[in-house]
Amino acid sequence: MSLQDDFIRYETRRQFFSRGKNVLGWSALASLLGESMTDKLLAAGAPGVQKPLFPHFAPKAKQVIYLHMVGGPSQMDLWDHKPVMNDWYDKDLPESVRSGQRLTTMTSGQTRFPIAPSKFKFSQVGSNGLWMNSELMPYQSKIVDDMCLIRSMHTEAINHEPAIAAMQTGSQVGGRPCIGSWLSYGLGALNSDLPAFVVLVAEPTNREQMQAISSRLWSAGFLPGEHSGVSFRSSGDPILFINNPPGVSGDLRRRQLNGLKALNEMNYKLVGDTETHTRIQQFEMAFRMQSSVPELTQISAEPDSTYALYGEEAKKPGSFAYSALLARRLVERGVRFVQIYHNNWDHHGNCGGRMPFQCKDTDQPIHGLITDLKNRGMFDDTLIIWGGEFGRTIYSQGGLSRDNYGRDHHPRCFSMWMAGGGAKGGTVWGETDEFSYNIVKDPVHIHDFHATVMEMLGIDHERFTYKFQGLDFKLTGVEPSKVIRELIS
Amino acid sequence: MAAAPVSGPIVFNRDIKPILAEACLNCHGADPGSRKAGLRLDTEGGLFEPTDERRAVVTKGDAAGSLLWERILSTDPDEVMPPPESHKQLLPEHKELLRRWIDEGASWQPHWAFLAPERPSTPELPPLATPIRNPIDALWLARLTEAGLEPNPEADRRTLARRLALDLTGIVPDPAEVDAFVSDTSPDYYEKFVQKLMDSPRYGEHRGRAWLDAARYADTHGLHFDNYREMWPYRDWVINAFNNNQPFDQFIIEQVAGDLLPNPTTEQLVATGFQRCNITTNEGGTIEAENLANYARDRVETTSWVFLGLTANCAVCHDHKFDPITAKDFYSMAAFFRNTTQSGFDGNNRQGANANIVVPQTKEDKERWAALPSELADQQKRLAERRESAAPVFEQWVAAAGVDDAGPDVNPDGLVAHALLTEGAGNEIGAVCGERMTFKATGEVVWKPDGRIGPAPVLTAASTFDLGNQGDFEKDEAFSYGAWVRPAGNGAFAGIVARMDEDNAYRGWDLFQHGGEFAVHIANAWEDNVLKVSTKGGRLQAGAWQHVFVTYDGSGKAGGVRIFINGKTADVSIDKDSLTGSIRTTVPLRIGQRSKGQAFDGGSVQDVRVYSRRLTGEEVASIHDNGPLRAMLAGEAERRTPEQKAALFEHYLVARDQPYQELQNTVARLTSEQEAIRGRSPVTHVQQEKADSMPTAHILMRGNYDQLGEKLEANVFQALHPMPAGAPKNRLGLAQWLVAADNPLTTRVTMNRVWQEIFGTGLVKTSEDFGVMGENPVNQPLLDWLAIELRESGWNMKHMVRLIVSSSAYRQSVVIPAHKLEKDRDNRLLSRGPRFRMDAEMLRDSNLAASGLLSPTMGGPGTRPYQPDGVWDKVGMVEGDTRIYKQDTGENLYRRSVYNFWKRMAPPASLEIFNAPAREASCLRRERTNTPLQALVTMNDTQYIEAARVLAEKALQSAGMENTNAIIDFMAARLLSRPLRPEERGIVKGTFDDVLSHYRAQPDEAGSLLSVGETKSNPAVDPSTLAAWTMIANQLMNLDEVLNK
Repeated sequence: MSLQDDFIRYETRRQFFSRGKNVLGWSALASLLGESMTDKLLAAGAPGVQKPLFPHFAPKAKQVIYLHMVGGPSQMDLWDHKPVMNDWYDKDLPESVRSGQRLTTMTSGQTRFPIAPSKFKFSQVGSNGLWMNSELMPYQSKIVDDMCLIRSMHTEAINHEPAIAAMQTGSQVGGRPCIGSWLSYGLGALNSDLPAFVVLVAEPTNREQMQAISSRLWSAGFLPGEHSGVSFRSSGDPILFINNPPGVSGDLRRRQLNGLKALNEMNYKLVGDTETHTRIQQFEMAFRMQSSVPELTQISAEPDSTYALYGEEAKKPGSFAYSALLARRLVERGVRFVQIYHNNWDHHGNCGGRMPFQCKDTDQPIHGLITDLKNRGMFDDTLIIWGGEFGRTIYSQGGLSRDNYGRDHHPRCFSMWMAGGGAKGGTVWGETDEFSYNIVKDPVHIHDFHATVMEMLGIDHERFTYKFQGLDFKLTGVEPSKVIRELIS
Repeated sequence: MAAAPVSGPIVFNRDIKPILAEACLNCHGADPGSRKAGLRLDTEGGLFEPTDERRAVVTKGDAAGSLLWERILSTDPDEVMPPPESHKQLLPEHKELLRRWIDEGASWQPHWAFLAPERPSTPELPPLATPIRNPIDALWLARLTEAGLEPNPEADRRTLARRLALDLTGIVPDPAEVDAFVSDTSPDYYEKFVQKLMDSPRYGEHRGRAWLDAARYADTHGLHFDNYREMWPYRDWVINAFNNNQPFDQFIIEQVAGDLLPNPTTEQLVATGFQRCNITTNEGGTIEAENLANYARDRVETTSWVFLGLTANCAVCHDHKFDPITAKDFYSMAAFFRNTTQSGFDGNNRQGANANIVVPQTKEDKERWAALPSELADQQKRLAERRESAAPVFEQWVAAAGVDDAGPDVNPDGLVAHALLTEGAGNEIGAVCGERMTFKATGEVVWKPDGRIGPAPVLTAASTFDLGNQGDFEKDEAFSYGAWVRPAGNGAFAGIVARMDEDNAYRGWDLFQHGGEFAVHIANAWEDNVLKVSTKGGRLQAGAWQHVFVTYDGSGKAGGVRIFINGKTADVSIDKDSLTGSIRTTVPLRIGQRSKGQAFDGGSVQDVRVYSRRLTGEEVASIHDNGPLRAMLAGEAERRTPEQKAALFEHYLVARDQPYQELQNTVARLTSEQEAIRGRSPVTHVQQEKADSMPTAHILMRGNYDQLGEKLEANVFQALHPMPAGAPKNRLGLAQWLVAADNPLTTRVTMNRVWQEIFGTGLVKTSEDFGVMGENPVNQPLLDWLAIELRESGWNMKHMVRLIVSSSAYRQSVVIPAHKLEKDRDNRLLSRGPRFRMDAEMLRDSNLAASGLLSPTMGGPGTRPYQPDGVWDKVGMVEGDTRIYKQDTGENLYRRSVYNFWKRMAPPASLEIFNAPAREASCLRRERTNTPLQALVTMNDTQYIEAARVLAEKALQSAGMENTNAIIDFMAARLLSRPLRPEERGIVKGTFDDVLSHYRAQPDEAGSLLSVGETKSNPAVDPSTLAAWTMIANQLMNLDEVLNK
């Protein structure tokens, strides 16, 4: 008798009811057991199992790879071309443009707001003639036809901690679930041997102005804890405690677990607590993860052509290129949501000196990832998201020269892009004024962005709620937010 | 939402209110901002009273004629309630309940939790075999039998021993104690065992741990750098309070307002750490007002959750939608917490920006720390008295005193520069450099009258003195120099007397202020060709005159440098001893700075002397004792200014008046004793009220710190009971209100959480929410009885815990017959004993206890047990001081988990996986998930593997190598408090034989397994056998029964 059948036989109303109290019983179960097994349960007519509410409608994408550039990338140095600013070099930003905007205390004491035009070379690329920094992003300039660029993102938060929280959870206040957890909870896992939501923290080459990245960014908040992101580590065990201690082979562990299972079953017969069967399942799944995860992180098996795509850096554990390659391997094996964090985009100073490092870290691997997904026929099912938590100011913070400048935080506008499943390639959405300071056309609030991403995954964000402390929480918060349909393929 | 009751009368709070709350109150609730059509259904008036525009929503006894029923049944999408766009739907059974309720007369009740509890009468019960041991049992059985269920029989004694030990101490019991319990034939065997466990210090560690979740205690600040925050004395205070069974109302009062109690003790101040446990930041760019608003918000939320069971956080932006908490209420309560001295920034350091106290740890230190302030004050007073009584003696002496009365000056041989700096006016000073010369200051000089000798100059960066080409010494020449010195503060790094070239690698020599110490540099080039010698122990006293003198013997060695303070040799540390090159430089001798900068800003200097020879100790003492006097006495008595005379008196006291000198020495000794205690004691964050203002706060519109609304005085939630008569409008009044006799919530909320700790789920499941949207109590009479008993027992927590664990309800077996699974799936009615997966800490501690590794040491700084590499530095900032996890060694690896260092951005990894919270916010109810990641911890974590091996070793030692059954029983007794059944043993033996033959064939692998952990395995034991038993111990440690209580 297979484990699944065994499970179905023992599973009782208890567990299904306890999960079925919320309407997402199926999804929560799927995240624990994997889709195929849950389908079996449904087919077997297990009591209390509800058909999933999700997707609400046919999804455009099944999986997500979200590349978060921590610190707030400078939009006017990358995606939001402002050639007129060259004439404004070292002139003050007009008060009318700034118009009482909240500043961080890092520049609120400045007496001048001298404009710093981007020092980098922009050119027109792609069939839509998109202007972008082709000097630092030569690889990405080849794939803009696959990208859906938004130049009119905006948020309320102005400091990192609350801004990253807002971008990831929809709220500046801590303790809310992040988008990966919401999707893990709503859509569940596609592979019972791996977690639904995996996080990779990539180490930047330059580390001048790192921001804190902690597990609260991939916390499930008030959602059940199993929907927290599982952070894969680049050194040591990829998942904490995944490896057997020295001197314990997989085979030996299997034999020990056989005994454990038999003992637990005896206990179940005596006490009748169905949790005991959850426990047996838990150990079996842990064992399967122990076999599948090391294989997953064995990138040495990749052919040379992989490294030609992602770059040689991909051989270095912890690099962004390595993380991008691992993301592909994770998605390939059915992980629902892969979050990559890449740090050091907080360019208060030395923007000119540091930006090349940031782009060198990420440019070829991003191109490699998208090309790789295409080659494998996975591009149309996988949504790729790129962006930070806010933008940066056109005026310089600290010293200014033609070649170097710093930029302060700027929540009023920033750029993000999407590609792959659901994202309409070749789109350029939204406009900012000539100072890249205020949005003049088609603003996209971070909640609108979340709503749009969920729509792509087949979820109506209005109906995707979770009751906590008496309130129906949703990722997109209480203020009205809208799906930007023009971004969806 | 409540399940439909099948029979009996409708109870509004139980049956109807949850339906209204879920389906209606979002738009027709307490929040006027989101209320539609001006209609509210959360009040009696709103439901039953007509208005000018419409008839009553509910007409009692007439569903068909009621507006409510009409709108529910409507098929018109514009009419039907709830409206389709709300995504709310009423189930048919809910509709039927509403109809029945109206037709039965629509009785109404205020929300249960806002009505004061009443002690329930003893219910009538059918005859039952189960003994009624205390009123808990009667109330429990009434509810259970009402549901048609019968209790389980009592569990066997071994099960009970393990359950009691886990619930009262958080660790498995010692097998010997279990055996004693099992074989005890006395009638009070149970009570004795309970008492013994409650008397153990492990009790407070276990109870305290749950409270620390609520208090959000941790060892870092939480945001941005997430640096170390020292406040573990608060954690230890909590544990002690539970162990000492402090009355729980006092426990609450001291944490909310210990600082406002009359003459608060150190412990009462430490207790206020409860309010300083919130996360804080020091991120550049954040705004202090916003940070402070966040901190206050956290305190209101925490207070509200922990004591009142109300989700006040909903009222941050608008009036609460469901509960009667308005935004005004929220910010009125915030006012209690905003009148404090806390800064918006934590300074990224251990003691925070302000409001902390030193907490001496030993009995001696505590006593001395408490006594020293008054002893010091007493000596200071006597010093002042001596000044007065010495004055006439001084007058007599000074009238006749001449230079020779001052005692001999030192031989002037080799005095290459001497400046008194007593001019008192102007920008020029005189000095003897071979001959008398005049030197101009570099800027305007300010003179202060209170010099050591006479008026003294105040040096600044813009005003120092250049004495020209004096003191041009080489490293093999002896020389001496020094002065009377008064530093402005003890944080500066400044040249006092220096001939040193900053542009040439600091070549030359100086007397230097190094923060709180004096230092000497004699340098060819910093920092590889230089002597550096510094005083130790914080000798530099800000604002005080000290005579500092340096002698150097020309040896080129640091050992040839001596520093004298007030005529006596000072203890020094040698920081650099690498001088080989020349120290000669062309820059001039300066007073108050080095060649370019590093000025002795705000400090004063007098009687500067430079000698081209090494002075003896006696000579330096003589300069200290007599030098200034001679200078002053040299002038004519009648021409002395009052300032000069005052200075003369000062010097007389210090140098010639023996009683005064003795008193001064005593003060110095007491001060250094105080500093020594401070140095070896932790600080802890406390709450401190601003003395000069009233607690007020503004409403923050939509929660935004910079959108100020109405200014409010501190006040409690208006819908609840009023503040007690005479209670002050500050945190102390708030505390009194929380524990007031008419507070309907605090006692219930408290006992509900105790119930939750023991039974896994509270009588109200939503232990943080007793409001309208929270769950109704599954057994309100029982909850109310517990609440009243707590108050009437004098808030005696041990009494309450004892009652609960002594009840028949608690003592049931855990066996689950099928019908109970059906009718009481989650064991809310307690149709069986409690059984659930233990908390993270209990798992770790119990396994350590079973292996014998667990350390009994209590308290102290957070410990750092085994943890995989990289857990901290992955999240840490480069500049942070908690980026690198430096694992402890020895005993600290095996301390109880409650003492684990808690870094908020990366809590102890193996605990977090078992749902331990990050402690960023108050946690009243941990999740209890079962994930594969948890199985990986108990299978693979070093601390579990090591504990398994140590347990196996002990078993082999106790039972012998060959006695398989005895070995297995030894381990089972420690983990399960029972021997294995024969069929279980059979399986374990099977695994053992299998694993043993594997290790016999692969002895290297056995060796590898045995090397896990810091303790060494016993080399006398056959490695393959020990490895196989280690795997068996590991197997048993992963049993469902071991992981469960």
